Amino acid sequence: MIHNTKCECGHQNPVGTVLCESCGKPQQDEDSAELLEMRYDGVARRSQKQQKNWIDQIWSFLSSVKVAVWLILITLIGASLGTIYPQQNVFVGNIDLAQYYETQYGTLGKIYYMLGLHDTYGSFWFQGLLVLIGASLVVCSLDRVLPLYRALKKQQIRKHLSFIKRQKVSHETRLDLTDGETAEEWTEKFEQVLRKRYYRVHRDGTALLAEKYRFSRWGPYINHIGLIIFLLAVLLRSMTAWEVDYVPIQEGKIAQIPGTKYYLENQEFRVEYYEQDELTPEFREQGRTIEKSFETDAVLYECVDNCDNPSMEPELNKLKEQTIFVNGPLTYQGLSVFEVHFEETPQLLHVQAQLRMKGPDEVIGTLDLDIANPQDVYTVGDYTLRVIGYYPEVSFKEGRFVTLSNDPNAPAFVFLIEGPELPEDGYVHVYMVRPVDQAQFQQDVLNETAGSPFELSVASMEDLVISDYTTYFNVKQERTMPFIWTGATISMIGLILGFYWHHRRIWLRIDNGVLTIGAHTNKNWFGIRQELTNALNKAGVEVDAKTIANEVNGS
Amino acid sequence: MNLVNLSLFALGLALFLYMTGIFVFGVTVMGKRWSKRDAATHEQRWGRRALRITITAFVLHVVYFILRWISAGHIPNSNMFEYLVMLSGLITIAFLILYAIYRTPVLGMFGLPVTVVILVYASVFPWESSPLIPQLQSNLLIIHVTTAALGEAFFAIGFAAGFIHLVRTVNYAGTAKIDRREQRGLELIFWVILVFVGFVLATFLFKGVGYQAEFNYPMEENGEVVTKQVAYTLPPVVGPHEYEKITMDSFLGTSEPWTEAPGWMKGINSASKLNTVIWSLLTGTVLYWLVRLVLRRRLGAVVQPATKDLDPELLDEISYRSIAIGFPIFTLGALIFAMIWAQIAWSRFWGWDPKEVWALITWLFYSYYLHIRLSKGWMGKPSSWLAVVGFIIVMFTLIGVNLIIAGLHAYAGV
Repeated sequence: MIHNTKCECGHQNPVGTVLCESCGKPQQDEDSAELLEMRYDGVARRSQKQQKNWIDQIWSFLSSVKVAVWLILITLIGASLGTIYPQQNVFVGNIDLAQYYETQYGTLGKIYYMLGLHDTYGSFWFQGLLVLIGASLVVCSLDRVLPLYRALKKQQIRKHLSFIKRQKVSHETRLDLTDGETAEEWTEKFEQVLRKRYYRVHRDGTALLAEKYRFSRWGPYINHIGLIIFLLAVLLRSMTAWEVDYVPIQEGKIAQIPGTKYYLENQEFRVEYYEQDELTPEFREQGRTIEKSFETDAVLYECVDNCDNPSMEPELNKLKEQTIFVNGPLTYQGLSVFEVHFEETPQLLHVQAQLRMKGPDEVIGTLDLDIANPQDVYTVGDYTLRVIGYYPEVSFKEGRFVTLSNDPNAPAFVFLIEGPELPEDGYVHVYMVRPVDQAQFQQDVLNETAGSPFELSVASMEDLVISDYTTYFNVKQERTMPFIWTGATISMIGLILGFYWHHRRIWLRIDNGVLTIGAHTNKNWFGIRQELTNALNKAGVEVDAKTIANEVNGS
Repeated sequence: MNLVNLSLFALGLALFLYMTGIFVFGVTVMGKRWSKRDAATHEQRWGRRALRITITAFVLHVVYFILRWISAGHIPNSNMFEYLVMLSGLITIAFLILYAIYRTPVLGMFGLPVTVVILVYASVFPWESSPLIPQLQSNLLIIHVTTAALGEAFFAIGFAAGFIHLVRTVNYAGTAKIDRREQRGLELIFWVILVFVGFVLATFLFKGVGYQAEFNYPMEENGEVVTKQVAYTLPPVVGPHEYEKITMDSFLGTSEPWTEAPGWMKGINSASKLNTVIWSLLTGTVLYWLVRLVLRRRLGAVVQPATKDLDPELLDEISYRSIAIGFPIFTLGALIFAMIWAQIAWSRFWGWDPKEVWALITWLFYSYYLHIRLSKGWMGKPSSWLAVVGFIIVMFTLIGVNLIIAGLHAYAGV
């Protein structure tokens, strides 16, 4: 069936038009007195096409606010499911999740895991919902914004009477003009009143269209554009960003950030705790200590040569030096280094041991030992010290030294000392850095038995370099954050425009001394009634806010 | 008197004045019919008095805030007590803004009680200010928490107006199925409010008499069973699972808990939390029936006459307007500022932490509310029910998540 879509004013409307695009005459249920459906000014939208192919079907599905509202509701409920039990991303290291959920939360936990809810937000259905919301945002906006733009662009000043009468705010009255004032003069006077209220007024004889804050109509669409940019940026980020979590670096050390060309040095770590009297009585009772601050002096390097060659020292190029604290990450060209955690991990790094002959002899020289990576040979004075045994965590088993691990927790060195006036074979000399080990493994007895005339020891604790702490860093490379912030900003602008201003329109015409006035707003009817009442009263028409509320529909 | 005590004194005075304000707003609305004077004059005169009292209370509330900020050295919004006190102050601001726009005294009669209930509820949590851990030391503590709370404050007024709208429009004389359902729904909300009040009453009552009970209970930690200790401030209806009594003041003749918590409740202190919930439900229910039996009518039916002169459409609009004002603020504070901070402090702008998820759920719910109002037939009552449900979600996000679901925000303390 082909509808005749030409309005009586002569305007040819597209199929599906509710209110004539030109004069506003209702195109459907013409004779009814009910309030008009003013949404999108009654323009035809693509989604309302009569004959639909499959693209149109998808389009009209996604353009429906009803569908959008359901999507929001389902996403909301889905998201809440993920907060019932902890999600898998909170667990560090390898644990058997199936086992964990069952033992921790019983049968419910088992079902939770089996339904895949331990990874709610990474699941295909949740991500699918987000994609659908994104698609719905695009289609809903496009379907409405273009027709609405056209409709608001070409508004006629003189509207059809039934258009004005069927507005939610509407009034009809005989105009009592004072001494010789014409209807046109009154309209002009009313125009001035409205202009003072910041309306843009278009007048055509005794007909008038006043409008203000039309831009607020674009608020929702600007907000939606922002949200789309945001969602796209999140998608882009998930494809391009990389991160390395929980990189431990000991104070005083340089370490490679795994899988990257970057190296990070932890020069110094500082931590400060709250004094007891600064804590609440509850914390004091529990004997808790709370950090006041912790920070790391860090240096970021980039490897420029010998990066993949384990036998060569990598050549590092210093990029940036910065103190990192919890709310102050180091940033360098899209790379960010965050301080997340620290641990007390006392460990020996360096020792400056003095070599001397037994007895009151003076010092021959100082031996600078890098405990984790000792050199093969050291020269002290005229003597050479060859490292013939190195036990990072020394222990004694079945009559010989062994090491329990590769971590220098209890380092012990066996030197072969050669030099002038010594036997050709030299002397074997054992040196343990920690006094505890020296006593436990009887270092001095061993050296005496071996006949070593030497003594190797530190003069004071200051000759020991100890690393007290390990800082844990998260390292991220992401260049998409600016897009995310841009999306969020646009969204906010849209929300502000849409919610803090209201689009208001007033139509008026005078026919044979009868004033018909109607008004429409998308929000805040109380406000527009108040405003219109004041304006009419100023122009000499006595009304109150209640009388201009159109009660046709009883609302 | 030191600064902290002075600030608490100001706050106490503010609370007293808020309550007076509610009373005077009540006289403004309901006294119209008693007084021989013209209704409009009565409303104007008493409305102005009520407003003056409310503003004075608010000024004292601000005095508290400033003094506490000075004495603590950081903005007082970093534990549950401070946060809720700030929120109640912001609800007053939201109320004052909407009152300035619409000038309906009945908004005071219903909006200010929200301020008071939250303020009283806050007083249950420890009053001391807690030291800031490094994660919280940022200017974003000021802007993120304050903006989010301001958004929530507008949602609170949206709730209050929606609630009055329902009280005004639900047909208490009706016996049709839909009327009955709405009556029951409304009574349910009254009951929930009284459960909050009941919680506060029970807590203070037993704190007042110095009630104490302590138990040991086993708990699994990193695969090992360790013994934990818990102190009850309310008489233990439910003891911890496999508890061992240390001390217990006798209550109603027994000096043993009536029962113990089921074994599947594993969280730390979950039994004492369950016990508190039981006490709140109990006291709330007793309060509800007490009021109902004394008045011999349902609570909604008692309050309804006070709302008779109100225009339901206006109430609906106030509710919607308040939410519409709050929505952008909430988006900015609870999502955007939150993301900025999370990016700086936790190295990711979004991490699906329970508190984050619930902020998103709140946001999605209000987006739902705003969109569904576009559909036909969703203005008025359905919309008001949604405004009520929305605020319940807000309260759950604020309090429930911290109490029930532990997450990164748990350090904000309770």
